[in-house]
Amino acid sequence: MSAETRNGEAGASRSPNSNKARDIGGLAIAAGLFMLAALIAWDGASYPVRRSYAQFGPEIFPYLVAAGLAIFGVATILMSLRNSFPPREPMNVPAVAWIVSAVLAKIVLLYAGAGFIPAAGTLFGFAARGLGRKPLWLTILVGLGVATLLYILFRHGLNLSLPNGPIERAINGLFRR
Amino acid sequence: MDTLLLLLDGLAIAVQPANLMFALIGVLLGTAVGVMPGIGPALTVALLLPISLSFGATGSLIMFAGIYYGGMYGGAISSILLNTPGETASIMTAVEGNKMARSGRGGKALGAAALGSFFGALVGTIGLALVSPFMVSVALSFGPAEYFALMVLSFVTVSAAFGGSVARGLTALFLGLAIGLVGIDKLTGQARLSFGIPEMRDNISIAIVAVGLFAIGETLYIASRKVNVEEKVEAIKGSVWLTLADFKRCLVPYLRGAGLGFLFGPLPTGGAEIPTFLSYSTERKAARGITKKEFEGPDGAIEGVAGPEAANNASAAGTLIPLLTLGLPTSATAAMMLAGFQQYGLQPGPLLFTSNPALVWGLVASLFIANIMLVVLNLPFVGVWVRLLMIPRPWLYAGILTFATLGIIGAQGSIFALVLLLAFGLVGFVMRRFGYPLAPVLVGAILGPLAEEQLRRGLMINQGDWSFLLTSSIALAIYAVAAAALLGPVIWRMLASDKSKTAFAMDGD
Repeated sequence: MSAETRNGEAGASRSPNSNKARDIGGLAIAAGLFMLAALIAWDGASYPVRRSYAQFGPEIFPYLVAAGLAIFGVATILMSLRNSFPPREPMNVPAVAWIVSAVLAKIVLLYAGAGFIPAAGTLFGFAARGLGRKPLWLTILVGLGVATLLYILFRHGLNLSLPNGPIERAINGLFRR
Repeated sequence: MDTLLLLLDGLAIAVQPANLMFALIGVLLGTAVGVMPGIGPALTVALLLPISLSFGATGSLIMFAGIYYGGMYGGAISSILLNTPGETASIMTAVEGNKMARSGRGGKALGAAALGSFFGALVGTIGLALVSPFMVSVALSFGPAEYFALMVLSFVTVSAAFGGSVARGLTALFLGLAIGLVGIDKLTGQARLSFGIPEMRDNISIAIVAVGLFAIGETLYIASRKVNVEEKVEAIKGSVWLTLADFKRCLVPYLRGAGLGFLFGPLPTGGAEIPTFLSYSTERKAARGITKKEFEGPDGAIEGVAGPEAANNASAAGTLIPLLTLGLPTSATAAMMLAGFQQYGLQPGPLLFTSNPALVWGLVASLFIANIMLVVLNLPFVGVWVRLLMIPRPWLYAGILTFATLGIIGAQGSIFALVLLLAFGLVGFVMRRFGYPLAPVLVGAILGPLAEEQLRRGLMINQGDWSFLLTSSIALAIYAVAAAALLGPVIWRMLASDKSKTAFAMDGD
């Protein structure tokens, strides 16, 4: 899809001149690939040595994968230097930040023991806000409604176990009677 | 032949009320997600994977297959009325279909698409029933070397399929293989890449990978685009029922499209893009007289809708052949269905046909039933589906995120799963932005552990001698095909002067 909306402004916001300059984003991906390869190889080297008919233990496949990742890390560097990545549209950073914080908020709220409904409602509200629906209190309110419906449907309809907080315990109390 | 008897047995299973209901749920969901751009059948199966555990193996697989078929039907609707293909399989439908809708023949285009889907799926499913037993008898003689070769073929072709970049496809594949490494090694019990985190010791669930890459990654990608293209939904004009004259025009494209789809479906070429593309160009080349004028002018030719729609459904059926007989997924949705089998401890392959014939043939028979349901749902009720295109995007994607996290937390029972989900979402977003295909990650993560098992089993039998991989002539032939698949796209790109043709295979369906 991204190829359809090819416009003149190639490159991420960080590298506006990426038509000529190196592609910093691509180099960052290459760095990530090298780190992953090193991590896998380091982990593989820590396995205790076993003697078996295969001559090779659980480390053989990780080594192959690490080698592959490293090779394509080099290929990624070449791609960034030659600018052969498809052109990228300018990024809407606030929207992406809203979506990421939506999931983060759900994780934090669940670890804090708030229960499924407040956590999912916040996620829904933040996500809808990120995609342009305002105001935030309205989207969170809608989210709480959706989350309550989903909770009742899946917890009491399909018996899926979902994290409980004070609100969920109250609802479960209603259903027990 | 006893294929017919087995199929009748399967039919008896498929018409059980519970299974009919699962087929109906599947086709309804499948059509709905097919209609909505950005959500495909692969994501839907991934979302339902955790929730469906309580449905039983036969029921949930019937539902997943219904989603796959339904997605192919539904994709045509948004292609024709919105000019935004719901999935990659419907890209070619949008070309003539949207022209027809704008020139006031949207109803006819939808009708031709629905009938074409029915015809393609019917031909494909009959082919599936006939070819599978033969494939099974071949596959029964395969050993570790052949299976490893087949998996290499699957890896290579899914990464190199049609356009895009071979290097980026293979990078995505190795990322998937790395994900597949995490957890306890099946043969020795060694914990790998788990860093003492208990949730990482028992493998990363494929549902987390798929939902993260597709649902979270896709939402981030949609949100990140500043330019919001104004989308115009064309109203349905004219009857969806075809006249006899229309039908005559469609018949030959249906036959050709179904044939192409069924031929390419089983090949590990990464889904329905190639057969739909070939079908469209065949119809365009074969066009004469008024049809040729419609193809070239703004009116849109019905043949250009009929052929690709028959092709994409036939290829969906064809994709199930290697999935069921060899355990090899050749599209993202097939990869998710394989994960569905594994969730129930079933390994698709030749042995499944003997150990669990009721499941296999029940599934095949239910495909016929799903297809009949779909043509009924799509011809008279097409207006209902169009309403789905009207849901505002913020609510739609917020709902998808809520549902995605609900499924993951409900099935995994740990909040840490959400942390992984977010991580895969960010990876998926970066990959989408930089033009990496997502399907190879899934195939790598699912098939990687199986390939490793075959490789190490072979090494064990042959006492560490790698040459066993190259002594089987079948395996060598498979490697030759894999090499051709790897080099084919490179040569194709050198020959193709129009670079826009290579923009397919970017999305994950």
